[in-house]
Amino acid sequence: MNGSDNAEAAPSRPAAPTRGLILPDFCAARAVLAVVLIVTLTAVVLSVARHAAGLSFWLDLARTALFMLWTGLGSAAALCLLRRPLGTMPLPTAVAVAMGAMLTVIALVSAGVLWLGSNAFLGVRASNLLLPEQPWRFFAANLGIGAIVAALALRYFYVAGEWRRNVELQARARVHALQARIRPHFLFNSMNTIAALTRSNAAQAEEAVQDLADLFRANLNEKRSSITLKEELEVARIYQRIEQLRLGERLHVIWDVTDLPMRAQVPGLLMQPLLENAIYHGIEPRQSGGVVTVSGALDGDVIGLTVRNPLPEAGGEAHSGNRIALDNIRERMELLYPGRSSVEASRVGDEYVVRLRFPHVEDPVRTSSL
Amino acid sequence: MSTASQRVLLVDDEAPARERLRRLLLELGDIEVVGEAANGSEAVRLAGELKPDVCLLDVRMPGMDGLEAARHMALLPTPPAVVFTTAYDTYAIEAFDTQAIGYLLKPVRAEKLQATLQRAARLAGSQLSAIAHVDAARADREPAGRTHVAARLGEQLRLIPVSEVYYFSADQKYTTVRHRHGSELIEDSLRALEEEFATRFVRVHRNALVNIDFLAAVERDAEGQHHVLLRELDERLAVSRRLAGELRERLLR
Repeated sequence: MNGSDNAEAAPSRPAAPTRGLILPDFCAARAVLAVVLIVTLTAVVLSVARHAAGLSFWLDLARTALFMLWTGLGSAAALCLLRRPLGTMPLPTAVAVAMGAMLTVIALVSAGVLWLGSNAFLGVRASNLLLPEQPWRFFAANLGIGAIVAALALRYFYVAGEWRRNVELQARARVHALQARIRPHFLFNSMNTIAALTRSNAAQAEEAVQDLADLFRANLNEKRSSITLKEELEVARIYQRIEQLRLGERLHVIWDVTDLPMRAQVPGLLMQPLLENAIYHGIEPRQSGGVVTVSGALDGDVIGLTVRNPLPEAGGEAHSGNRIALDNIRERMELLYPGRSSVEASRVGDEYVVRLRFPHVEDPVRTSSL
Repeated sequence: MSTASQRVLLVDDEAPARERLRRLLLELGDIEVVGEAANGSEAVRLAGELKPDVCLLDVRMPGMDGLEAARHMALLPTPPAVVFTTAYDTYAIEAFDTQAIGYLLKPVRAEKLQATLQRAARLAGSQLSAIAHVDAARADREPAGRTHVAARLGEQLRLIPVSEVYYFSADQKYTTVRHRHGSELIEDSLRALEEEFATRFVRVHRNALVNIDFLAAVERDAEGQHHVLLRELDERLAVSRRLAGELRERLLR
């Protein structure tokens, strides 16, 4: 069936904040097989339940399964065709459309069965056992059962889709975390600086090696997903100290963070990548250097952190943009604080400003009542 | 200075990096560091003045980077052998030109520095100018184009910031660059310049390319000939009829 290849690409799309109903690909053979199995099993359940009523079990199963296979495969085909629009509609609309499509299929199949019953083109006298006698009851029962089963199925697909999306998000965040780690450029430049310092200023070289070790330890820390804000700011300061040796007078960093709750739990590697970006994109391309300002404030129970850096000089070449660090922070914050954090980057005057906002959470051990 | 020693120009925007290279060169012996520069345009100026044999040129620098500086240096009558130094991004150098003497990875090893300098000494100056004129392939690699254009002034190069160029004009043989501090002849063809600076300059006539930043107005005289007026400049440039409409639209935007 067509469209399945394109549909495969959908999960790699960046997660949009408002998204529709993500359903499995009903165009694919696997999903069709699953539908056949589910439908047949449901038919068995219904037939077994009705067996006491004195109907012939096998006849009942045959007609139930036949009817349900038509509705099941028809619904799968409808959802297959609607998959792409459903993914882009707002959730309530998508649910309504999917339900409508499935109920329409059920109604059409029911109408078909009634038509067969009244025309009896099979040549055999249609027996009461095979075809329904009371059209409106038949219709209502089918639509009622169909609505319940369809609603349950959609709910299941929605939850399963959310779960899968979350797993994907986590996996991607991990990949990005690897990519966002300290730039090789920084590592080798630092090594070069240290090589120069070992002769001219051994004490400073020693200090730089220790700083570099601490920085890499913080970067390689896989286990703890969150650390205190105080620790996080310290990592950023260590980073600044190393860059300071290399850039000298060209780099000035102003820290305005005294109002922040230092015991707050924050995701690791929040500030250092932002500072690295600010220096790489804002200071290094400028011959005269510039000032990076790191400021923070607690606004109610929301922590706001801001990093600002000057734009490259006019006529100068800007380093090609790198949004990996920002995307990575955005994804990790979304995992930790779904819907309650924001990462904004914008040009304000002659500065580039990145603003982070996320909930203030203290040590989870002490505030477990939350 | 002894005639045998190699004369080296050191270029890096980071003071510790220059310091370390200077020390390594000192320890190698028989090498004279004739100058140091912290950016590309300074490096090109010193290369013209001091005529070093070798230029150790950092790739990533603010303002004019090492790749552009090397390109300008190649226009000098006696270009230095360029050896790029870089912390990481060697792909840029490899794409730049295979005929560069080579590159050194920072932190630079003394043995490698020595080997590279010996290789440079073996190469004659004429072979080095082969680095020049890599125009065509560069256009798509550096979307913004060079930061400067170079005009030969006797033995020296004069670097003109592209941001100070009013227009380029061409006659049969030469391309003239009219800029804030006068005008010079350059060797680039108008076609190559148009391609390189496609986002910053606009063709107004078969023989003229105008800096968009200085475009002021388009007017028509009594004979129906269109002219373009430039900011800061009391000159009017003829606009071909075909391009007049396009230019008007551009000004309105």
